[in-house]
Amino acid sequence: MLRITQTKNTLLDGATIADQLYATPKDCEDFFESIEKPTQVVPVPRSTFIRAGVLTTVRGSAYMEYGNTKLMAIVAPPRELVRSSAHRVSMGVINCYVNFAAFATGDLESVPEREKHLGSMLTKALEPLVCRNEFLNFQLDIRVLILDDDGCLLSTAINCCGVALIECGISTYDLITASTACIYRGYVFINPTAKVEELLWQHRGGNALLGSSSANSDKDNDIQEHGLLINASMDSFEQLAQCQQCGYLKPETYVRLLDYTLEINKSLRHLIRRVLSDRVKEQHLLDMREQEEERLEDKRLAAIIERLKQQGLHEFIQSNIKEDQYTKK
Amino acid sequence: MAYVALSEAEKTFILHGVEEDFRCDGRSRRDYRPMELETGLVSNASGSARLRLANTDILVGVKTEIDVPNPLTPEFGKLEFFVDCSANATPEFEGRGGSDLAQELILSLQNAYESPYAFDYRTLCLIPGQQCWKLYIDILILECGGNLHDAVSLAAKAALYNTKLPRVTATLLDAGVTDLIISDNPYDCTRIGIDAVPLLVTVCKIGDYCLVDPTAEEEVCSTVSMVVSVSMRNNEAYLSGTHMTGGGSMHRDTMLNSIQLGLSMGEQLNNLLVKMLKLEEERVGPKRPNTVGFLK
Repeated sequence: MLRITQTKNTLLDGATIADQLYATPKDCEDFFESIEKPTQVVPVPRSTFIRAGVLTTVRGSAYMEYGNTKLMAIVAPPRELVRSSAHRVSMGVINCYVNFAAFATGDLESVPEREKHLGSMLTKALEPLVCRNEFLNFQLDIRVLILDDDGCLLSTAINCCGVALIECGISTYDLITASTACIYRGYVFINPTAKVEELLWQHRGGNALLGSSSANSDKDNDIQEHGLLINASMDSFEQLAQCQQCGYLKPETYVRLLDYTLEINKSLRHLIRRVLSDRVKEQHLLDMREQEEERLEDKRLAAIIERLKQQGLHEFIQSNIKEDQYTKK
Repeated sequence: MAYVALSEAEKTFILHGVEEDFRCDGRSRRDYRPMELETGLVSNASGSARLRLANTDILVGVKTEIDVPNPLTPEFGKLEFFVDCSANATPEFEGRGGSDLAQELILSLQNAYESPYAFDYRTLCLIPGQQCWKLYIDILILECGGNLHDAVSLAAKAALYNTKLPRVTATLLDAGVTDLIISDNPYDCTRIGIDAVPLLVTVCKIGDYCLVDPTAEEEVCSTVSMVVSVSMRNNEAYLSGTHMTGGGSMHRDTMLNSIQLGLSMGEQLNNLLVKMLKLEEERVGPKRPNTVGFLK
């Protein structure tokens, strides 16, 4: 049963893999029993840290921590399209690449599939944000590196990319903010952790929902709604840039989850706006300091030129030759 | 989506038509184009369907294989989707040109079928924890005339309805190992329940209005569309996966309206599809022959 990825990881950290290998449906049940269930819905974001401009090698970069989820977004300036069908494109093209760091997640097997999925959803979410008519025949590459996965990956990535895009100086229509909410066995989880998402994910294809012993499963009218909603919004004009849902939901529940996420997005927006204005101030200070230094340099040069004019070339050179203290002896 | 060249004047014409609720082909905003559906036409597949929605042409084949179930879901079978964009559809699909579109279709289908309520994976179970059916749903896009999501999901549902899984009996050998015996009689088979199998409905926003079943030309004019996956259970419509596509954004209320439109259209489509599938089976389907004599 051991596959290559697993052997590799056993060497690194045997315990987590062993858990994965021998997980049974009952473990999921036990886990669900053990987690803290929210008694009431409080639509607030997790504790968040965002920093724009963390890398000096690229124009636009941002680092974000959303609870324990940590990731980094990198935006390079637009470059010319290489594709042959370039002449047909009436708008700039956005390409998003999402990568997991090797240590980001325990479940290595599903990583390529998740990367692909996250990349395509991220592209869809960012397309309405960027003024794509400004760079026709150009493509914009956005890269996201996930350092730690504790749920809400896509929404955190969207938030982080929004900041990185602005840091890069790409014109956007608005600020974008995103958040995640899910419902599982009647409990609404706002900002679900990786464990809850995994539970939901495994049970989407799993049988705990239908009753694992299939004893009470044939009550068809007793449907347990379950689902996950990721919503990215641009609040200046109350537009939704992306709204992705999976699972099995009644339309009413969908609206309920949507409103929770919209509320979180609003408070995240304040935070991101503050981070960006702080960043602008910081940049301004840096610029001022640089200008100050430049001015000093200019002054020094001006003084030298002045002296040169007064003394003449030969004298000036002579006056600038410092005697070497060793040869003097 | 496949590329169609349209001038500004043509776009304005389409836009005005949508505003007047009288589209280029005479439909209203809530009308579908005529469909042709045929099932069981690929003899090598366990189930197959061909759907022609005006110019969109889809062929779906279902293959079956025996696999080992996931240890976390011992009573569940597996589904796998594959979409192939044939270069016959548009020259753009040549080489790897269609792979983005195919990937998007696969992802939306996977998302829609993921919930165990949407598709009853237990019907694919042979021996819990040991053996299960794995269905490969291969979708071939032969011609591209807009509204691929809807057409693909309709054809997939029809192909699943048509799928016949051979009856399997198991004998217990030593040490808990089981041996499967697959029935030789092609008529001795089980079917898959499709009552709750979801349909995708694309609601397309053109100008200020939402409409269903966009043609390829209308897709060019649209700013954003919402793919709504509708699953019917106990005569109630459930959402089993939605997302926005097309590179635009919409207001919350517009989105909720388009979901409502999608749900009601999905319900009608579903009823009609099930009705037509049953009708087809009654009229032209192979009636199970009474086996006579010793040659079974």
